[in-house]
Amino acid sequence: ILIHDVQELVDQSTPETSNQKQIPESYDYTQYHPMEEIYTWMAQIQKNNSELVTQHYLGETVENRTIYYLQISQPSDKTKKIIWMDCGIHAREWISPAFCQWFVKEILQNYESDPKIRKFLQNLDLYILPVLNIDGYIYSWETARLWRKNRSPHMNGTCYGTDLNRNFNSSWGTLGVSYNCSSEIFCGTGPESEPETRAVVQLIERKKSDILCFLTIHSYGQYILTPYGSTTEPPSNNEELMHVAQTAAAALTEKHGTSYEVGSTSLILYSNSGSSRDWAHMIGIPFSYTFELRDKGTYGFVLPADQIQPTCEETMLAVTTIIDYVDQKYFPGGALMLTSGSLGLSLCLTAVLTLIVT
Amino acid sequence: MPGLRAALPAALLLLSSFPPAAAEQYPWPQAPGVMHPLNPNSREAAWAARTVLHYTNYRTASPSLLWVLHHVEKATVKVGGAITLGDIKYYLQFTIRDYIHEKHVGSCSATVLYLKNSPPQVRAKCVHARDKKQIQEADYRLYKYLQSQKKPITANSIPDNHGNIDRDHLSLLALAKVGSSDIMWKKSTEHVGYFLAQVKVVKQQIRTDDAVEFNFIVLLHKMPTQEMVACNMNVVWTLNDPIRVKYTCAPDNHELEDGSGQDSGSAAGTSHETKGNF
Repeated sequence: ILIHDVQELVDQSTPETSNQKQIPESYDYTQYHPMEEIYTWMAQIQKNNSELVTQHYLGETVENRTIYYLQISQPSDKTKKIIWMDCGIHAREWISPAFCQWFVKEILQNYESDPKIRKFLQNLDLYILPVLNIDGYIYSWETARLWRKNRSPHMNGTCYGTDLNRNFNSSWGTLGVSYNCSSEIFCGTGPESEPETRAVVQLIERKKSDILCFLTIHSYGQYILTPYGSTTEPPSNNEELMHVAQTAAAALTEKHGTSYEVGSTSLILYSNSGSSRDWAHMIGIPFSYTFELRDKGTYGFVLPADQIQPTCEETMLAVTTIIDYVDQKYFPGGALMLTSGSLGLSLCLTAVLTLIVT
Repeated sequence: MPGLRAALPAALLLLSSFPPAAAEQYPWPQAPGVMHPLNPNSREAAWAARTVLHYTNYRTASPSLLWVLHHVEKATVKVGGAITLGDIKYYLQFTIRDYIHEKHVGSCSATVLYLKNSPPQVRAKCVHARDKKQIQEADYRLYKYLQSQKKPITANSIPDNHGNIDRDHLSLLALAKVGSSDIMWKKSTEHVGYFLAQVKVVKQQIRTDDAVEFNFIVLLHKMPTQEMVACNMNVVWTLNDPIRVKYTCAPDNHELEDGSGQDSGSAAGTSHETKGNF
C-alpha cells in the first residue's frame, strides 16, 4: 500500500488553497477543503486517534489517485456490524465531503463524553469515505466548479466523465441515463466500468453480510431518499425504511427548522438506474439511504461556507438517529438513551432499563 | 470502556408489509377531464409549483420581490379536456419563502397548464405580508443607482465558487434571477425543471435613455438531466414596465434513454436554442 508523501501533497497545493498545517485541532471544519488538505487530514486523524481510527485503501481513481476510507472501531473482541457512509460521489456537491469530515470529527471529539456514541460503537464499526470521486472533486476546484462526473476519457479524449451514480449494477442503463458521454448522466460503457465504482463494490461485496446500513451523501434538495430510483416498486422493507427516515428527518428539523422530504427517489425526485444506493439495497443491505443536503436551489451546489456548520449539525442528528435505530434493532438489550428533543422510535415494543457500571 | 450491564432482553417486532402495487408513470386515470389528487411530495407537484414561481418572478419584474418554493400543500391534476388531448393541468396550493434570505413567508394558489408546443400557461394568486411600499422603494433605489452609473458595472461568478455573494452583487443576482425566470418558465415542462445555478458574467450596457440594461451569462441547472445550460441573456429594465428579456441558450441535445427529459417543443435530437421576446 502506497501512502502518499504528505509533504509532497501539501507542496502540490494550488495558489488558491489555504496553508493548512497538519494539525487537526486547528482544522477548520467550517470551510471547504481541497483534496490535498483532505488527504492530510485523514492521515492526521488516524495518527491522533490511532486507538479508534484506521485509514484503509479502497482503490484508485481513473487518474491513479488513491481512495481511502476511515474505519472508526472501538477495540473489542466482539465482531461488529458495519455502517457505511460515502461522500463526494459527485464532484460539485462540496457540502457532502464537508459533512463526512464533520461527522468523523464529532464522533471522535465526543466519544469520551457521549454515552450514545460509545454505546453504538460497542456493536457497530463506522466506515467513512470522505471523497469517492477524487478526480472530479479536484477538477471542480481547479477547472470547472460545476463538474459532476468522474474524469474517465472517452472518444479518444474528446469527452470526459461517467456519472458514478449511474454506473452501479442496479438495473444499469435502463432509466434516467444517457449513453452519450457528453451527458452529465452518462452511465459509462457498462455496469461498474469505472474504477471508483469497482473500488466501492469490491469492499461492500466482501463485507456485505456485516453491513447493516449504506448511506450515500449528495446535495442539493433536502431529501432523505429510499430505494428505488430504477422502479416505483417499493423495497421489501419499505415501511420500516420510511419510518426510520421520517424519524431522522424530524430529528434534523428540530435543530434549525430545516425541512427535509422523505420518500423513494422514483416518486419524489426522478427515475434513475445504476445508483449506488439501489445497488446496496439489492445486494441485501437493509438500510440504504441517499441524503440530499442543503439547500433547495437558492445556492444549490455553491452552498456558502457559513452554512456548513448548521447543515452538518442537523444532518448529524439525522444520521445518528438512523445509526441508533439500527443499533437497537440488531443489538437489543442496550441502554435506554434519554435525549431531549428526539422522538421515540415506535417500532420498539419494549423499553429497556439498563444499569451501566463503568 | 466496556462496563457491566444488566439488561432485560427486548423483542423487536419487525414490521414489513408489501404496499399496494407499483404506480405507473401517471397514476391517475387517463380519462379526459377527470381531476385526480396528487401526492404533494411528488416531483410533478414540486416542479409545477416552481414553474409557477418562475412565471410570477418574471412577471412581477421586481428584483426586491422574488420567491422560492417552500412546501406544496395540495396538488391535483387533470388530464386534457375535450379541446386538446394530451394537455396536463395542475392545481396547486403551496407555501413560499423570499429568495436568498428566506425570512418572509407567503402562499400561492395556482394552475399550470402544460401545452405541447408553447410555454406553460400559468395562473397564480399569491399572498404575503411584505410591505408593498418598501418593495417599491427598494426597487426604485436600485434602479436609480444602476441608471446613474457612468462606468458600466461588471462582475464574474455570482455566487462565487465558495457560495459567497458580495453585498454589491446581491442586486445584480436578483436582476439576473428576474430575467432568467423568463427563460426557465418558458423552458419548463412537466418533466423538465430548472434552477438558476450561477451568474457567470454580468456586464452593464450604459444607455442614453431611462432604461437599465445588462448582459448576463447565466448557468441554469436542468433536471433531471443534471446539465448546466449556459444562456446569454439581455435584460432591459424600466420601472413599472415588464422586464424585457432576450436570450440564447447553448444547444442542448441531451435526451434520456427513456425518452424523458426533453424540453417543450423539441423534436428528437434537435437543438433547443430559443430566441427571446424581441
